[in-house]
Amino acid sequence: MKCAEVRKFVRLYLDSELDTEHSFEVERHLESCAECAGLFEAEKKFDDRIGRFLRRNRGTGSVPSGGRETRSLWEKIEAQIVPPRSRRVKALWPAALAASLIIAAGVIFFARPRTLDLANAVEECHSAYVHQITTPEFSGAVPAKIAQQFGGRLDTGAFAYRPSEQAFTSSGARLCHVEGVPVALILGRYAETPLSMIVLKKSELDHFPETKRKLESGDPIACSRAGRYEFAARLVDDHVVCVVGDTPRPVLEDLLKTVRRADG
Amino acid sequence: MDRDQQRVRFLSLLRPIEADLENYSRRMVFDRRDFEDALQNAVLRAFRAFDRYHDDASFRAWMFKILTNEIFAINRKRGRIAEFEIAVEPEEMEEFVGIDFTPAAAGPLSWEALADALDEELLAALQILNEAERAVLLMRAIGELRYREISECLGIPLGSVMGNLSRARQKMRDAILRARKRSWL
Repeated sequence: MKCAEVRKFVRLYLDSELDTEHSFEVERHLESCAECAGLFEAEKKFDDRIGRFLRRNRGTGSVPSGGRETRSLWEKIEAQIVPPRSRRVKALWPAALAASLIIAAGVIFFARPRTLDLANAVEECHSAYVHQITTPEFSGAVPAKIAQQFGGRLDTGAFAYRPSEQAFTSSGARLCHVEGVPVALILGRYAETPLSMIVLKKSELDHFPETKRKLESGDPIACSRAGRYEFAARLVDDHVVCVVGDTPRPVLEDLLKTVRRADG
Repeated sequence: MDRDQQRVRFLSLLRPIEADLENYSRRMVFDRRDFEDALQNAVLRAFRAFDRYHDDASFRAWMFKILTNEIFAINRKRGRIAEFEIAVEPEEMEEFVGIDFTPAAAGPLSWEALADALDEELLAALQILNEAERAVLLMRAIGELRYREISECLGIPLGSVMGNLSRARQKMRDAILRARKRSWL
């Protein structure tokens, strides 16, 4: 191997990148050529010095910026290397918490008594009554003028229902429409608390399928929230009688059980 | 392998190269405040991926690759804004002076002047190395990685590794020469 070739290879030789055969030839040349050997020594010194310079604090525990303990840094880092299992468990905490909240929310949502369609529809009537937007149109017998507005979808009998409970008093009644369905609205009070009685023909229940299903499933009384009020409904003869108010639900149910037609 | 055993094995491979990884990180980050973050992120990332590490590969090269990726990401965020921590100590200067690169200039040697000059020149030299040159030089000088390993770490061809290494070394040599020239009175 000639000098030019050796000088080309000397860097590779120093970086241990030469194969055995070429390494051997370089070594053999360096033994016999002082000039190339000098160059090689200079290059080797340069490598050593640069390497030592760049990592001169290796293993001493001190660092170039001075003062800080290398070991404590590594202890800190190593302490964070924890087996994946516990890391995974730790990582799952937020997910587990989120899942629990979702399940809890679901349980609360589904366990919560659902608002029946009819309850939703009549809430507005009662609210209007409570806020004195709605007033009675008549008391006693249904005026013919009003009966003419039934359009065959309501009868005067609807206005004749009253609870036999003494605590219930009525100031009168009026015709209302709920979701387009004509209903008898009997404006009353129960123990001084405004209470609406709403009566519609049983045949109109098709407009309120949830309530229909509930009442036809065997439950004598269908209960629900109606906005901020309580609601209860039951079938009496060929009518659906509802009561809505601030009165507790069990009281409403008891009240509904006493409802009779006063006209016969 | 049991997870605790995996941790023990990971640490047994990591500990012998911790000092090299640390030095590499210190020299590679643009902002010295980042070197700990880079190290920590890289080590934790490596441990998470440890089940994908194969025994036939060099753990040293594998770790340097992960660390390099962390450092590049951090440097990209910072931009080249900070100085490298370069300080030259007197005993090292003596060693540098001993290198016979050029015919020695006549005149007495000023140690103080050499200290300042070498400090400045090395600092300047490392700063003008581009990221690839610096990474290649440090991977070779600190990490003692093979050209092929450096090529895989950086995702550049073998020829580029050699080219970058050659340029980086030349710049460092020039820096030492400039320092020597300045310090001869």
